Amino acid sequence: MNLKKSFSIAFAVLMIASMLLVACQPQQIEVIKTVVVTEVVEKEGAQVVVTQIVEVTPEPVVVEQPVTLDWNFGTEPPTIDPALATDTTSVDVIHNLFVTLTQFDPVTGEVSPYLATSWENGEDADGSQTWTFHLRDDIPWVKYDPITGETTQVVDADGNPRFVTAFDVEYGAKRTIDPATASDYAYVDYIIKNAEAVNGGAEGVTLDDVGVKALDATTVQFTLQTPAAYFPAIAGMWVNAPQPSWAIDEWAEKWTEAGLINTSGPYVLEAWIHGGELNLVKNPLWVDADNVQIERVHGVMITEASTAFALYENNELDSTGVPLPEMDRVKADPELSQQYLNAPNPCTYYYGFTNNKPPFDDARVRKAFVESIDRQSLIDNVLKGGQVAATSFAPPGIFGAPEPGTVGLPYNPDDAKAQLQAYLDEKGITLADFNAMGITMMHNTSEGHAQIAAAIQQMWKDVLGVDVKVENQEWKVYLQTIKNSTPLEEMPHIWRLGWCADYPDENNWVHEVFNNQSGANRLRRGCVDATCTEVVPLKFDELTVQAQQEADPAKRADLYAEAERLLAAEEAAYAPIYHYTINSVTKPWLTRNFPPLGGVDFFNWKLDMAAKLAAQGK
Amino acid sequence: MTRYIIRRILGFIPVLIAIALFTFVLMRAIPGGPFDFAGDKSLPPQVVANIEAKYHLDWPMWKQFLSYMIGDDLLGEEGISRGVLRGDLGPSLRYRSQSVNDIIATTFPTSAQLGFLSLLLALMIGLPAGIIAALNQNTWLDYSSTFGAVLFLSIPNLVLAPILIWIFALKLGWLPVASWGAKPPYVLGFLPRLSQLNWDYVSHALMPVFALGTSSAAGIARLTRASLLQVIREDYIRTARAKGLRERVVVVVHALKNSLIPVVTVLGPAFAGLVTGTFVVEQIFGINGMGKHFVQSVGNRDYQVITGVTLVYGVILVIANLLVDITYAWLDPRIRYD
Repeated sequence: MNLKKSFSIAFAVLMIASMLLVACQPQQIEVIKTVVVTEVVEKEGAQVVVTQIVEVTPEPVVVEQPVTLDWNFGTEPPTIDPALATDTTSVDVIHNLFVTLTQFDPVTGEVSPYLATSWENGEDADGSQTWTFHLRDDIPWVKYDPITGETTQVVDADGNPRFVTAFDVEYGAKRTIDPATASDYAYVDYIIKNAEAVNGGAEGVTLDDVGVKALDATTVQFTLQTPAAYFPAIAGMWVNAPQPSWAIDEWAEKWTEAGLINTSGPYVLEAWIHGGELNLVKNPLWVDADNVQIERVHGVMITEASTAFALYENNELDSTGVPLPEMDRVKADPELSQQYLNAPNPCTYYYGFTNNKPPFDDARVRKAFVESIDRQSLIDNVLKGGQVAATSFAPPGIFGAPEPGTVGLPYNPDDAKAQLQAYLDEKGITLADFNAMGITMMHNTSEGHAQIAAAIQQMWKDVLGVDVKVENQEWKVYLQTIKNSTPLEEMPHIWRLGWCADYPDENNWVHEVFNNQSGANRLRRGCVDATCTEVVPLKFDELTVQAQQEADPAKRADLYAEAERLLAAEEAAYAPIYHYTINSVTKPWLTRNFPPLGGVDFFNWKLDMAAKLAAQGK
Repeated sequence: MTRYIIRRILGFIPVLIAIALFTFVLMRAIPGGPFDFAGDKSLPPQVVANIEAKYHLDWPMWKQFLSYMIGDDLLGEEGISRGVLRGDLGPSLRYRSQSVNDIIATTFPTSAQLGFLSLLLALMIGLPAGIIAALNQNTWLDYSSTFGAVLFLSIPNLVLAPILIWIFALKLGWLPVASWGAKPPYVLGFLPRLSQLNWDYVSHALMPVFALGTSSAAGIARLTRASLLQVIREDYIRTARAKGLRERVVVVVHALKNSLIPVVTVLGPAFAGLVTGTFVVEQIFGINGMGKHFVQSVGNRDYQVITGVTLVYGVILVIANLLVDITYAWLDPRIRYD
């Protein structure tokens, strides 16, 4: 029996050992370079994208390692088509691949020249506002060849080199507005004359009627539906970037693949393995190529924040976000704390009230709930990322935004109690009766939102003595729940949302989000009946329309300040909680910006490759 | 046997159509659609209408399903889909330049490699451990095997994976933190190229394969032990021993083969589950596998992707189960399929 036993043990040990041996044996690394080639061929009458391996004999010359940035995009960009992009990852890539009419200065956030060197506004014969942009003529359309690794200028059918022209801008804007393109962000262009009608498929208007026209190769003119002082920022958004009509016609949806894409920006697309990697290389034909120091961006798509942070600690990423559980360690660590920076991020986290649902149809109740939120305590103890307590909606850096804390209702437990008491006294009910109404707060399912809600629920309990039930729903279900069409009895009294800037103007904030005539009116302000089918504009709603059309910047700012005050302090229609920050760590060898808008600007960053290689032990 | 296999394969067709139909209907029954919002921003109704028109989401449900199955051209409509029956799983609604075929072709090979290696590891550890435990019942070998199995069964991947990264990548620096060693394109669509089979590949694979394999190994070990203990008390084992066969022959030829039936039964679904990707391990190790699409496509309401990956899972599951059934006949001669 003993013999048999030892046999079976030996058998098992052998199996495990052989497996480990196989696994641990380092094999010879073959030095054949393989390149992925994506091309589109005709197959069975349809165009099919074929990916194949091409083995390239390695160059005998030793090439010096290019200055490479290791970057984590965090997720697969859903698209890098300027007409279709909506999310920050896509916009980050697009910003480095395509030139736009204007750009935001990466430090100040101001609108500055880019493809357009100058612009002016005027009026056309019908009295509509026009914006004319004068473009530079020396930015080439380029194409990167993954086999040779060369970037060449695109030529047209006659063999002439292609430069970015006003016609490409006109094409780009119209392609975004075209309903057949089905662009999510087409609505940003609704300010352009006839854009909304054409995008909505209205009869009698065609794309030719849309108010964007290339007057000549270097001049493009936009005609607006309503005057807008902030239009240069909109014109510079990715949806209005010049787009290569010839490439889009040729490859249809696949035109954004590596090897097919035509680009105009400081970088070209080297490779895009969907879901895994997206690499950029410097465009040598770029007008300002001498000032682009980072030659290659190796971009991975690690979703898990703690894994990305581990990669950073292992010198495999040059900059990354700090996950909440690591925050205390980063701040305490002598080395990491030096690399830590929090930069403002133009987003606001807020709790909305259902303004026509009792008891939240009374401003005193809403004020009591706002004033009992101790935002600073929430930031210090729960969020920990140096966020800015918000008492109004638009964050600093947005045109017309009030300084945080100057407008709106700060933490004021005494007044909160008084406001609630006044309501209770008038209605002749007790706190117990109030609690019996079953106040509900809802957020979408997420650990972070749950922690914030738990903290605020406790603040309401401590200050006001009210019991608020906190519920959560999966994101898309939640978005349906807080829609305007939900019956009042199924609506939570309080719900959470956030908002981030598309362009740095208050119009993008108070008007687009909260105006009850043009926005979604989720706050249900000014409802005539319970179903909210009929809505009357309040003072606030008139002010934001007025401000939109005001030409004088000083007067506009005043109008917005008043609008913010009305909404946050007088109506207390919602509770602003905090303005976001980007919490990140950056290696000492990388000098980077944190542009608040318009995507990351790799082309402005500097990286000391020698220091990086030394740290990696190479 | 051949007729049995053909009959079974024909039987797959209604099963797969039913899977497609159920997934299709269930997804659309969930509140919320793919294009209601861009991030936190609600979109104007006409923008949503444009996008829904492009992807035919404005059609009645029966027509959408028909278009999904047989393609737009056979319905006499304009459209890009050629239909599942002709091998086109449709466009992704979230990743708008990619089709579901593209997504599966990129992510499935990685998941398959990871899953296959994990299952291999699970068998290599689980079977011997279970056998040793059963043959040495109630000795320290049995107890330590049981202890190990319970330990690895109860540590979730969510915990094990970061601990592995912390020890082997950050503290010891032996292994890379994340990602997978091989990149597309693959040989035959799913195997790494020979030039990629090097230390880099192995070092990237070790931790995820270990994290994924050990929990399966623990289950296999427990199952093997229990099953072998039962078989070893059967009359025919006593007969074999009475005939004076050597213990090794009794165990390997007579007991082990028969005791493998329950193990093989769980291997079918386990194989299908592992090779189509696992969300947590892939997420933590930053591996571009198919696991994330099972989870994220539901959150994104990416109808075509969730139906597509479910179908892939379904195909692999029915094939794995068929192989399991064929293996039964070999393991237990009493089982006949004619």
